[in-house]
This record gives sequence, C-alpha cells and structure tokens, in this order.
Amino acid sequence: MTNETTTTTETGAETNLSTGRMAGGGVDVKATVAAAAAASPKKTSTDQVALSLNNVGVWYGQHEAVQGVSFDIYQRATTALIGPSGCGKSTLLRCFNRMNDLIPGTRVTGTISVEGVDIMGKDVDAVQLRRHVGMVFQKPNPFPMSIKENIAFGPKRLGLAKSKSQMDDLIEESLRDAALWDEVKDKLDEPGTSLSGGQQQRLCIARVLAVKPDIILMDEPCSALDPIATLKIEDLMRTLAKDYTIVVVTHNMQQAARVSDWTAFLLAGEERTGRLIEYSPTEQLFTTPRDKRTEDYITGRFG
Amino acid sequence: MPREAFQKQLSHLQDLVLEMGSMVDRAVDRSMTALLDRDPSIARTVVDNDKAVNAKNFECQNEVISLITQQAPMARDLRLVVSVAAIMTDLERMGDHAEGIARIVIMMQDEPLVKPLIDIPIMAGHAREMLRESIQAFVDQDVEAAYAVGKRDDEVDSLYDRIYHDLIQIMIGDPSTIEPSTHLLWVAHNLERIGDRATNIAERTVYSATGNLPQMDVSSY
Repeated sequence: MTNETTTTTETGAETNLSTGRMAGGGVDVKATVAAAAAASPKKTSTDQVALSLNNVGVWYGQHEAVQGVSFDIYQRATTALIGPSGCGKSTLLRCFNRMNDLIPGTRVTGTISVEGVDIMGKDVDAVQLRRHVGMVFQKPNPFPMSIKENIAFGPKRLGLAKSKSQMDDLIEESLRDAALWDEVKDKLDEPGTSLSGGQQQRLCIARVLAVKPDIILMDEPCSALDPIATLKIEDLMRTLAKDYTIVVVTHNMQQAARVSDWTAFLLAGEERTGRLIEYSPTEQLFTTPRDKRTEDYITGRFG
Repeated sequence: MPREAFQKQLSHLQDLVLEMGSMVDRAVDRSMTALLDRDPSIARTVVDNDKAVNAKNFECQNEVISLITQQAPMARDLRLVVSVAAIMTDLERMGDHAEGIARIVIMMQDEPLVKPLIDIPIMAGHAREMLRESIQAFVDQDVEAAYAVGKRDDEVDSLYDRIYHDLIQIMIGDPSTIEPSTHLLWVAHNLERIGDRATNIAERTVYSATGNLPQMDVSSY
C-alpha cells in the first residue's frame, strides 16, 4: 500500500494532480474502491484522482441542499451523478467549478480539491478554475456569433493563441475533437445558432475543449436532444474520456449505464437534503447495487 | 407499488419457468416409465411432446427479449430476466435428454436387459428431484436450496460411475452384450446430463439472488 501511495504521488506530481486521498463521510469510499478494484480490472485504487470531495455540503440560505458528500472522482474516466429530482446532483456538480458562487445565499462547506488545491479557497480565482473545469449545460447555448468566434472566444481572452494561424489550428483541433469539424468546416463564419441542436451542443463542447480543460462537467447534456444527436454526444463523451475527466449529471439511467465508468447515486429524504448513497463502478451499480435504496431507484420501485 | 405491469410480466416469466419445469419433469418421468415397462408407445408420446417443450422455450425467450426492450430492467430485475432465459435453455436441453431416453427405448424394442434396472431408476429419481428442487429454489430465490442441488449432483455422478463400470464389465465378459449395454449407458448418460443441467439452474438461481455466478460443480463427463 505504501508503494502504491508513493506511485500515486509521483505520477500525481508529474501530472500536477492531487494524491489519492480516501475520504470519510456517508459512504465507505475505501471499501467502495476495494470492491471496485475487484469488480472492474481496469479501475484500481491507484487510479489518479482528479477531484476529491470531503464532507461537502451545500446550503441555499437556511436550506441544506446537500450534506456530507465524500468521494474521489478519477482522472480520464466518466463519472455519472444520478438520483431523483431534487437529490442535489446538479447542485453538487455546480460546486466543482464554483457555479454556485453566482447564486446569492449559497454556502459550500467541506473541501473539494482539484489538483490538490481546495477550490473553495479565497485565493482561488473562479474564472481561472473554470478554465480547468469546463461546463456543458442542458440546453446548447452557443454565443450569438459565428461558429469560429464561438470557439475563439475563450482562447482569445486567455491568450492561448499567439497568431492567427495558431488560432485557426486551435479552432480546427477543437472542432475535430468535438466530432463537429467535418460538418462545419465549410461554414465557419455562419452563426453558431444556425446549427441543429445536436451540432450546437457539440459546438459548446468544442468551445470548452478550446481552453484545454482537465475536467469537463456536463449537466444533462442530452436532455434537449433527439436520440440520434444524443448517441453522437455519448460517443463523443466516450472518446473524450480517454483524455479528459468527465462528470455528467443525467436523469437517463440508461445513459449513465452507457457512458460512465463510475456512478454516484444521491438521494434526498423528507427534509430535501441530498446525500451520497452509493458510489460504485457503473457496471456493478447497475447489476448488483450494494444499497437497497440504489436498487429501489434503478429498478423503478420508488415511493 | 410502482411498475405494476412490469411486476406482472416478471411473475409471468417465473410462471413460465414453473410450467416448463413440470413439462420436462413429466417427460423424464414418462421416458423412465417407457423404459421400465418397455413400452414404445409411451416413449413416442415423449418424443412428440418435446415439440411443445421447444415451443415453450421460444415463447419464453421472446418474452424475455420484449421485456428487456420495453422495460429496460436493472439490477435484481435484470439478473432475474437473464437467468430465466438461461434456465429455459437448460430446461429445453433437459427435455431433449428425456427425448433421448425415449428414443433409446424405441430403439431397444424387446431386446433383453443385460442387467436388472436398479441403479438407473435411482439415478432418474435423483435427477428428477434435482430438477424440481432447482426450479423451486429459483422461484423462491433461495440460495441455500440452490447450493443443496449442486451437492446432490455428486450422487448422480457417482451412480453414473457405477453404472458405467458395471456395463463395461458386462461388455468385456460377453461382447454380444455390447449393443444392449450401450443402450443402457446412453440412458444413464442422459440422466447424468439432466443432473448437470439442474446444477446450472441452481447456479443461475444464486446469480439471480446475489449477483455472483458460482461454479458449483465441474462434471467429469
């Protein structure tokens, strides 16, 4: 175990990420990871941690929306957050790039670390953080500008391209990585809003990729899309997970089963406070969940 | 209870397993009666009825497919549904083994027995009990009962061993008995396979109930 920890730290330093700390709280993450290692040969307890939550709680004024959530999200894997409406999954996701800062009266407790840094720290610049932790929303929201300008917007502000040709390369690369290039390469100057819903969503993903993030958050990314567009986004998520850490909130359990490596199930009780019930490798969670409440939810026997 | 229609579909699948289980049990019983009474007409009914056993399997497999399509079962439900499909395949094969015994009876006509039928009926009794107990364990999702079925297969296997060696000795002693001895050996072999298939059903029962698929018994045949 000592050796494994050392390896994690060394590689962690190389990739500038936090060490694999096991968090306490509502779920025994150590046991989960050990079970996971047994259940899924690809994932082991020495996997690099991208995002570490320790006893995270979220308050909207006097209302506690999320309580005591602790788990580690692994690098270059897709983690799905599932649970019924109001379980706090979107609230939790929005903590990961401090989108909750924008909602007055919101308070986040506990620690969330990205690259070993507590992102709730006062010295952390939320704008810089959001460059590392990008987000894709429910409804595609291209800026009211051309396809090209949509992609160039972030890199321009961050000074990521030193010349026009560098910027053109970055635009092409981002659109290619978002599996959109072939469909738009001849109309880069047309407005982003002229694209179909699925294409707009891939444009938004390309826009996120253009600023070279480490983590991509997706909040119900396919809920406004038709099945074909949905499958395209899901394929894209599978491809992107080779290079990025993806965290996706979805109401669609089949989607979670299709795209994710890990699944976290959250549930709120009478008092409407969401808690983490189970965090397992996706295959395990959907075939042999450990918690009765997970079983009841995924088999549709709730209430 | 939410998903009432789904729940009904699930219990219907279990009913089909029960129904198929009794069809196959009856086939094994009749094939043994045909052997003991040396009655080819009973044997012929077993052969004819096997078509109904096969049809029941197809009916059930189709229901499994449409249930997966329509209901996208998860967790325990998913394990149950895929287990039903596997169990029906095992039952269908057990039906074929009963039919195999019946066909041997037809083939034997009135050839004299090379040895009295003692061990083979005992073996058939064990195999049928394993069949019934495995189906009951599945319907009750009873893991302990399932493991008990796995243990019983050892008895069937050792009976088979004994019958096999007896028949080999008889064949060595008098080569003219080779054909009638082989007929009885085939009967015993079919019964041995029925025991193995019952063990498969017991394994599926454990999987359905717990999510672990154990290997209960490695048969040497």
